[in-house]
Amino acid sequence: MGFNGSGTYITWYTIDNPSPKRCFRESEIHGNEGVGALMSLFWIVIRQLAEIEAMATSKKVITREEWEKKLNDVKIRKEDMNKLVMNFLVTEGYVDAAEKFRMESGTEPDIDLATIMDRMAVKKAVQCGNVEDAIEKVNDLNPEILDTNPQLFFHLQQQRLIELIRNGKVEEALEFAQEELAPRGEENQGFLEELERTVALLAFEDVSNCPVGNLLDISQRLKTASEVNAAILTSQSHEKGTYVCCQPY
Amino acid sequence: MPTASSTTATAAGTNTSVTATSGILQRLSSTDQDVKFKALRELKNQIIGNRTKKLSFLKLGAGPAVAAILAEAVMADDGDRNDSFNKNVIVQAAAVLGSFACGFDVGVQAVLDAGVFPNLLRLLSNLNEKVVDAGARSLKMIYQSKLAPKYDFLKEKNVEFLLSLLNSENENVSGLGSSIITHSCKTSVEQKLLFDAGVLKKLIILLEGSPSLRDSSLESLATIFKNNLEVVSKFVGSESGRALSSIIELVKDRFARTRLLASWCLIVIRNTSPCYLQDIAVKTKLTNTVLELVGDPGQVGDEASFAFSSLIAEKEDMQKLAFEINAIDKLYSHLQKDSLHPRRFEGILLALADMCSKLECCRSRFLSLQALDSVIVALAHDSADVRTAACICLRSVSRSIKNLSAGCFMKETVVFPLVRLLDDPSTSVQVAALGVISNIVVDFTTRRSSFIRCGGVKQLVQLSKSMDATIRLNALWALRNLTFQAENKCKERVFMELTASLLASLICDPEAFVQEQALALVRNLVDGCINSVECVFAEDGIILDAVGRQLQSALKVEIGIQGMYVLSNVATGKEFHKEAVMKQLLRYAETGTQSYIVKFLQSNDSRLRTAAVWAIVNLTSSLGAGASGRVVKLRDAGVLRVRTAVGQFSAFDVGST
Repeated sequence: MGFNGSGTYITWYTIDNPSPKRCFRESEIHGNEGVGALMSLFWIVIRQLAEIEAMATSKKVITREEWEKKLNDVKIRKEDMNKLVMNFLVTEGYVDAAEKFRMESGTEPDIDLATIMDRMAVKKAVQCGNVEDAIEKVNDLNPEILDTNPQLFFHLQQQRLIELIRNGKVEEALEFAQEELAPRGEENQGFLEELERTVALLAFEDVSNCPVGNLLDISQRLKTASEVNAAILTSQSHEKGTYVCCQPY
Repeated sequence: MPTASSTTATAAGTNTSVTATSGILQRLSSTDQDVKFKALRELKNQIIGNRTKKLSFLKLGAGPAVAAILAEAVMADDGDRNDSFNKNVIVQAAAVLGSFACGFDVGVQAVLDAGVFPNLLRLLSNLNEKVVDAGARSLKMIYQSKLAPKYDFLKEKNVEFLLSLLNSENENVSGLGSSIITHSCKTSVEQKLLFDAGVLKKLIILLEGSPSLRDSSLESLATIFKNNLEVVSKFVGSESGRALSSIIELVKDRFARTRLLASWCLIVIRNTSPCYLQDIAVKTKLTNTVLELVGDPGQVGDEASFAFSSLIAEKEDMQKLAFEINAIDKLYSHLQKDSLHPRRFEGILLALADMCSKLECCRSRFLSLQALDSVIVALAHDSADVRTAACICLRSVSRSIKNLSAGCFMKETVVFPLVRLLDDPSTSVQVAALGVISNIVVDFTTRRSSFIRCGGVKQLVQLSKSMDATIRLNALWALRNLTFQAENKCKERVFMELTASLLASLICDPEAFVQEQALALVRNLVDGCINSVECVFAEDGIILDAVGRQLQSALKVEIGIQGMYVLSNVATGKEFHKEAVMKQLLRYAETGTQSYIVKFLQSNDSRLRTAAVWAIVNLTSSLGAGASGRVVKLRDAGVLRVRTAVGQFSAFDVGST
């Protein structure tokens, strides 16, 4: 649901500055009002951007200085900024920080902070490569998540396969691919292609130099972990808007 | 990985899984509670997200096994309410059953057959939140299927229970409440009952909840609104429309599914009564949103095109609005994508069909995009639904008189695949293909020969003998249009294929709407030069006799109209032809029965009076040698007196024909 990495995302540098430095690529913002609906802060930025666009008949590259200047002119309400910070802390699972921030700023999170621990446990399990463990944890939290989200389920199973291949368990990997992943590939052409790419890892002696070697990168784990994180968050969310999905790459 | 190797590998892998599967099942019936619990949890983790495994476990009898565990645990819970291990067993068992029922009917049936329903319901009143969650989730899964038992709202206790569900703090429980409504509320009595019980107000409050709760509330709202003017008008008027605005607001939601469901809600309201949601900004936003959702790669996109159709179907103002925001171009761009899912393909074709159903500007845009080519390709699609949709789309586009006149459709590339569809195994495809053919054979040039050359007439005649009345109707319709102002050669060809006896029997078809089309076809066949009149006299005039008989017993005004035009066309012929018509008109006069012509001349329907007057005019026109004799006969039969009376007030009808 938009968290699959292909959607619009925002790269964060720091949030310690009252007017945070962010890097927007113009093409990413263009036409994506949905992001703006998050908070009034984004609305302001986008309105400014719209003004800039209106001035230029064709697409125009904004220099960093210009951008900074525009941002500095934006007036941000303190509460909005606090909400944004809380949102970030909750999304990324900084429970202690969120708790402290709640006490100091009086900003209430939209979610029970206790649920963050469960979510973080799942995320960590994926990040460490214990995918099976992560799947069991998600199913304990809410069995609906993986039953109603075929794409996420496939990506977790794919990650399991990648871990088996990484650990040199070729026999087991093959059996797993046949039994668990092949039927999903039959249901969905996209999954089949991803499965083929993954199984291709087995064909190379030196996986670090093969065309699909990036599947073994840590970034693949992070991507899967972030997808699970987002899905759990959505299932727990009571907020009308949404949480910003931050992807560090 | 080549597909072939993966297939063989799957077969090999299945063996190990069968052993593992039966191992879990064995442990489920273990007397050791711990072993049993672990097996239950393992089963849950095996089947979640994996339909293949659900099926294989169900085949081995996992449904009754888990149902038995649940029943035992529920009973034990009554004995000892603090047994947390037992509560865990309940949670796992309910989760397994819910997963079996998730998203496919085979699973729902198996779970229902295992008799778990009452036990799952009991879980809702448990004191433990996790047990309640698990029970509500599983029931929700069951209620998302058509197979779920109907919930009887007419029982007072049931409405009370439903309200208690909707009032629950637990989102899974309130979500279950709205799933029950979506599943079981069907009649206007039920809609009204739920409205009076205050269900709508609750649902509006639930819109503030989590995304999934919001979605299920929107679905329930649409269910309660559907075609119920009373409920809709009360809802729209309540709290000065604040509730309505909250739905409008959700059309801009971040989640695609929510946007779609909110849009559906508004579409249902609008279709119930067009006087609501007239605000141009709302209409535009709605149209834009639904159109944009058609591009969603998932299930939302598949459903969005149907929502779009529902939004614009039969509504010229909405079609115009959609046209102005480039709907044709956008829909067409989705059509061009590779390997479209059949359901999506069908939806987009139907949406284009609705866009082109009324407005010429839409049709010209469609044709200028060369979209016709893609639709012609779709005529040969594997899915019957897609083929039908492609035909319906072509039918809408071919309503364009301008392009018909230019012969845009009477081309081999269009006609050949259509004629091939007349042989289609699916009746709905045949009917849809006949619909397009009916349009494109109304050709104002002489290109009809290409249709005849590819065997089109033979096929149509064949279908006019179908056992299915709808196919007979549409085949005759196509033939009728084919012979509309056609050159003699074409008409002769059609008549030769049809034969007089078949036409006569079609005129006497058991279905009135088939009779009407058959008469209309004869009317077109005998229109024009004198030679063509001859055909009704073939085989001792059985056609003319059949026409006369139908006119005497005509149940529908339309049958009278078409029949009278047949007679008036024949009456333009020679003396012999005119006399034959006279014979038909006065056939019953001798027996003392009133002739139908008298009845028609006195009819309230001006179309019928006009048709009848035309026949008399042609018979008594002074150009004919026997005209004065016929006038006498008609006067004797009491027809002409009537005619004079009618003539005074229906002269303008005749003039305008």
